[in-house]
Amino acid sequence: MNRSRFAATFRTVALAILALAASLLFAGSPPGAACWAAAGARGQVQLDFWCSSNPYEIEFARAVVEKWNRTRSDIRVKLQPLPASRSTEEALLAAIAARTTPDVCANIYPGVVTQFVAAGGLYRMDSFPDFVSFMRRRLPDGILEQYRSSNGHYYQAPWKSNPLMLAYNAGMLRAAGVDPASLASYSGFLAAAAKLTCDTNRDGRTDQWMIYLNIEPIWWQRFFDFYTLYAAASGGRTLIENNRAAFNNAAGVGAMQFLSDLFRLGYAPKSAFPGDVFLQQKVATVITGPFAVPFYESMKPKEFEYDFVPMPMPDSLRGSEVWTYGDPKNIGIFATSKHPKEAWEFVKFILSEENDALFLEMTSQIPYRRDLESSPAFASAVQKLPMLARFVRQARFTCGADNVRPLVEVYDAIAQEYQYCAVLGRESATSAMEIAEEKVNEILSDY
Amino acid sequence: MPEIAGVGPARARRPFFGRLAEQYRTSNKVGYVMVLPYIAHFLLFTAYPLVFALILVFNRWDIVTPMEFIGLRNIQRLFRDATFWTAVVNTLKFLCCHIPLQIVLSLLIAVILNGPIKFRSFFRGAFFLPFVISGAVVTILWQQLYSTDAGILNLILTRIGMQPVPWLTDPAWAIYSIAIMATWKNMGFYIVLFLAGLQNVPPELYEAASIDGANRTQQFWGITLPLLQPVMLLVVILSTIGGFSLFIEPFVMTGGGPAESTLSVVLYLYKQAFQFLRMGYAATIGFALAIMIFIVTFIQRRLLDTDQPV
Repeated sequence: MNRSRFAATFRTVALAILALAASLLFAGSPPGAACWAAAGARGQVQLDFWCSSNPYEIEFARAVVEKWNRTRSDIRVKLQPLPASRSTEEALLAAIAARTTPDVCANIYPGVVTQFVAAGGLYRMDSFPDFVSFMRRRLPDGILEQYRSSNGHYYQAPWKSNPLMLAYNAGMLRAAGVDPASLASYSGFLAAAAKLTCDTNRDGRTDQWMIYLNIEPIWWQRFFDFYTLYAAASGGRTLIENNRAAFNNAAGVGAMQFLSDLFRLGYAPKSAFPGDVFLQQKVATVITGPFAVPFYESMKPKEFEYDFVPMPMPDSLRGSEVWTYGDPKNIGIFATSKHPKEAWEFVKFILSEENDALFLEMTSQIPYRRDLESSPAFASAVQKLPMLARFVRQARFTCGADNVRPLVEVYDAIAQEYQYCAVLGRESATSAMEIAEEKVNEILSDY
Repeated sequence: MPEIAGVGPARARRPFFGRLAEQYRTSNKVGYVMVLPYIAHFLLFTAYPLVFALILVFNRWDIVTPMEFIGLRNIQRLFRDATFWTAVVNTLKFLCCHIPLQIVLSLLIAVILNGPIKFRSFFRGAFFLPFVISGAVVTILWQQLYSTDAGILNLILTRIGMQPVPWLTDPAWAIYSIAIMATWKNMGFYIVLFLAGLQNVPPELYEAASIDGANRTQQFWGITLPLLQPVMLLVVILSTIGGFSLFIEPFVMTGGGPAESTLSVVLYLYKQAFQFLRMGYAATIGFALAIMIFIVTFIQRRLLDTDQPV
């Protein structure tokens, strides 16, 4: 092959590569990019808004964005559910790394905010002059402080919590002669468990249990057993204080011992079951949040009766207010936003009383509001689903998770000890808490 | 003669580079363009990740914040990390159960399927089926079978008067339960390999042995097994590499529990990388795993491959 033929071949290949690269580049543009560019040319501000991929929340977000876009022609909002991923946190982390974050996201788990802040991913919200006053007007006392970052600033707007409570099968309790009020204490719960756990078809195997607890060492599952019980037993304390483990105390040991007793006495199955064990009436109780109410209402079998009570507490604390974990999700503005002021306007719109009421009604989740019980705006939602009233009341006594960077590792360490102690009975509760404390302190010292 | 000693290597070098340049001038340039996609693929998906992983070994990185050089701390941590060594022991336990079970069962079934049996094609297809079904689907199905309180296996055991077995909930049982499931899932592939090997055994050898009075068992040990040695080596090496990569089964079925008894090296690597975002430490575990696989397969080759000088 001579030089000119080689040059011609090279040019052809280079052109083909360029054409391919160009087509990939355009294919990679966000959908509707051309339309957005046209809108930008008309002088409008464009905001990207990501919401949770939960169908109820997508419906709510769609309604809010439509309302906003109808009234604010100067700031257009484009809604997109969070990209498909195993979790919201993973999707947002990938977006921060690639600098493709939206302007606003309304499903940020506070446990990962410290990491997002360290990565420079979130916009400092207290740089808006009215942020603190707006949030203080909206939130119950003390909530805003829970979400202050270690550098003293705010990077998230507290939005909603889903207080965890104990759902019980009213029919099963009635048949066993158990008063739901007796579930309030550890001893009452265990006494009820002795009556409710049984072999109903007499085949030699237990087929009805008191409670379903996850047995796998999965870090986030501990929010739904150990941590919720710890919050109740400790009056709403979190696990970390001053960057040290603070759970090796009477509340922690008591909660772990209670879980251990449930497995040791056979009141909780050591198995995974397909489907919802509570609706299948294999268990009398489960720990869950208000998001379960619409699911139970749509899926429950005929004559299935259920209700909710606060979490069990150590016998010595009976009578005091019962705290719980709130599974909170907040709203954040990302550092990549070119229009943070406009984004804050939109966030305030999402957090308005009207939209909070709509949120409660459409998703059965509880917005953080100081006037939730007193304002008539929320009454209609509660009337439609009276069960929600229990969660609305519980919302005042709800705590979040710790704002520490290695949150996943901390909960993983506790999950391992939960399995050794509670599920397998290989360690005492005291020893499990000591080992977990040591592991957690070692993890924290690395940051 | 110092001047000659100094000039010598330069003279020797010049012709080499000269040869290279000459080779390039006279070669067909289209060839370079043709290999470009492979080179690009190799650089992008093999060389770059490998070099990047090696860099990560000496750094701390959580994807979103800048990398921090920490020298040999990841390697030091690996040596004193008890959980990592638990994962290594678990993986070896899995291999010790899985490889022999897989070889014996695959060979047995391949020998049966190689004989004149009815519905031979159907059975060959049926045994291969689990291999092509998604690992996650198979694992979820087996999780239900193994369920201590509601699984069919324990139901059968209790019906025949035996005690239920805590398949996945007892640390003593869990890794072996997973090994049984993994054997069932992968057996089809190895049956195909053994079948191919069996069909290459010359039938006249069996005829001669039969005339000499050898029975079926003697023929198997004296002819079939020695002639299957190359396939056996392949099966052992592939099973070992596959076994070291154990991930989906414990990830879906047990999450590494109970009591870390099913935590495999790859599952531990995954947790470090994608749950704890310790990319540097995960890369260190990855390199350690690669070294382990290399050593084990090297030993296997030395022991099993008769063509290799011992």
